[in-house]
Amino acid sequence: MTTEYKLRRGDGKRIVMTRAQIMEDLRAGTADAAELGSIPQLTEDELDKLADILTAPGRMVGVEEGMEVPVTHDIGTIRLDGDQGNSGVGIPASRLVGMMFHERALGADTMELGHIDYSFKPVKPIIAQEMQAMEVCQQNMIVPLLYGAMPNMGLYYTPDGPCENPGDLMKAFKIKEAQDSTMKAAEHLTRDMVWIMQRMMRSGADGVNFDTTAAAGDGDFYATLKAVKTLRQEFPEMFIEVGMAGELVLGMHGEVEYDGKLLAGLWPHEQVEMVAKAGASIFGPVVNTSTSRSSPWNLARAVTFVKAAVKASPIPCHVNMGMGVGGIPMFETPTIDAVSRASKAMVEVAGVDGI
Amino acid sequence: MGMPTTHILTSGMSGIRAAGDLVARMEFARGMRIKEAKECVAKKLGVGTADLSDEYVMRDLREELGLGVITSVAGAPKGFAAKMNIEKLLGTKINCCEKFRQQLR
Amino acid sequence: MTTADTAKIELFDAMTSVKKDRVLAAVKDARSVMKPTEIIDALAVGMQEVGTRFERGKLFLPHVISAADAMNAAVAVLDKDLPRDGAGKQLPSVVIGTIEGDVHDIGKTIVSTMLQCAGYDVHDLGRDVPSRTFLDTVKEHDARLVGMSALMTTTMRNQMEVIGLLKEEGLRPKVKVMVGGAPATQAWADKIGADGYGENASIAVRKANELLQVGEVTQ
Repeated sequence: MTTEYKLRRGDGKRIVMTRAQIMEDLRAGTADAAELGSIPQLTEDELDKLADILTAPGRMVGVEEGMEVPVTHDIGTIRLDGDQGNSGVGIPASRLVGMMFHERALGADTMELGHIDYSFKPVKPIIAQEMQAMEVCQQNMIVPLLYGAMPNMGLYYTPDGPCENPGDLMKAFKIKEAQDSTMKAAEHLTRDMVWIMQRMMRSGADGVNFDTTAAAGDGDFYATLKAVKTLRQEFPEMFIEVGMAGELVLGMHGEVEYDGKLLAGLWPHEQVEMVAKAGASIFGPVVNTSTSRSSPWNLARAVTFVKAAVKASPIPCHVNMGMGVGGIPMFETPTIDAVSRASKAMVEVAGVDGI
Repeated sequence: MGMPTTHILTSGMSGIRAAGDLVARMEFARGMRIKEAKECVAKKLGVGTADLSDEYVMRDLREELGLGVITSVAGAPKGFAAKMNIEKLLGTKINCCEKFRQQLR
Repeated sequence: MTTADTAKIELFDAMTSVKKDRVLAAVKDARSVMKPTEIIDALAVGMQEVGTRFERGKLFLPHVISAADAMNAAVAVLDKDLPRDGAGKQLPSVVIGTIEGDVHDIGKTIVSTMLQCAGYDVHDLGRDVPSRTFLDTVKEHDARLVGMSALMTTTMRNQMEVIGLLKEEGLRPKVKVMVGGAPATQAWADKIGADGYGENASIAVRKANELLQVGEVTQ
């Protein structure tokens, strides 16, 4: 009788698969990534290694001794004191308590200060609060402390922002007007992100984490690259982390370029080139999980993309591995068995510099 | 919550419990890849790279060098004091320490 | 000499080139060897391919819009020759929006655009849409499908509220419900009694076609 292994589907549901089925899905996952990104598939040895990781008997696995990497964080302390769709557990703790908790109780290698809305645009009116919080936290922390937020360029479109919604303009076949509106929004976004981080650096931040970059497509990516470049020029020592929103930069504008390169349609190994060129210190590739596919398929696909990015990158890569990304199931409380396996796979097969 | 703890337990260097924060600083500050960052920090500490995640090695070393320890030891450098010692060890400048020095009269 | 087969190929190639002039030229050539409904079907296959290429990063949103514009122009040219019922009929009305409390709309916009390209009469309510607004718009336009996007686990609960309102008004049997957005899954759709879940825009359009029993066009 063939041994069956308990694994997970992309939505976290338990499934059982034989080793042969696991290998088949691993091969399909890596092939999908390779075809999309025009990158090499994982080797048969690497697929075997992934299969070994996935079929390990324990609930958790661990990287081989000596292969440990730093774990950087996003969403700040929201995971403790928040509960608005960001996986927070709703403990009413101050952000200082949350910071120190991460540093001292959870073993975080770096930490991030963020506010409850976690986008850059809403920070402007509360900048004094954020600056004070950073100063107080830095007095008590030892690990590097970044200020983190999402570019979230969608907030600059009507009804929340000054620029007409390009999606509405596109649907009315006003392509040129939509593209102009996108670039106007990008201008506002770059200005705001630079303004905010200039003040956070004055308050002693070690740097910035741009989280879910390019969530609103190529215009959003362009705005962030420009902000990175401006900040790097003003603050040569600043820690700048750019974490993406997906494996593909969506062409919502379709024609925006940075440094002569079209941003739409870029995959992680191409995104990192732009991010490094702009002056970032760390790149965070993202690969989204397909909820209807198995964890072998998702993991092989994610590892293939990330491995190519790591190889192409001139800067350290800290793969994003949160809910629904990096081979982890899309579920509010991602299962420990799946997270552990994905974590080990990214370190030992993709060769990441951090998580 | 289960997710960050799972990552830290599976793959992480566990921060100031060992030397994870120091390796992270070198990655950020010098653009060093993981191997290079570990070698650099290990050399400065006078240990092997495998020791950087070893609590047994790092606990006393951190206290001895004043780099900050995870348990709240009275008299052990914390906050700016620990970070200024880290600056000296790693040969880098830390932004908040610079700001702190600028505030002194 | 143009044959139906060569015409079909050129219609497909023209649509995937996303150039309106080329599409109209292909339609003109095809008229001598294909029925208007067959021409529309061939263009629709090209449109599906445009959607697939967009999902795979080979084409971008302006290309999808240009293709839709070309499709509309082609339909306008053929309109007077299309039968008044059957394959020439406008597809049903659909209502789509991002649920109340949620301001994310990039994914929803893409789905809305693709549904429009597929020929649906789309009423896009935008973002942060109150549950009752979904219901009122469904009633106003006699919509057959409502699509709701949510990007946060807290706001996705409002999708259940809309389903509840449809039931209260006795509309649930004739209105199909689809959900989407990052935290949504098939399991979530099943749990709240939605009819379908679309993981990406292409799948959402296919699911809409299945639910509304709009025929799959094959090459």
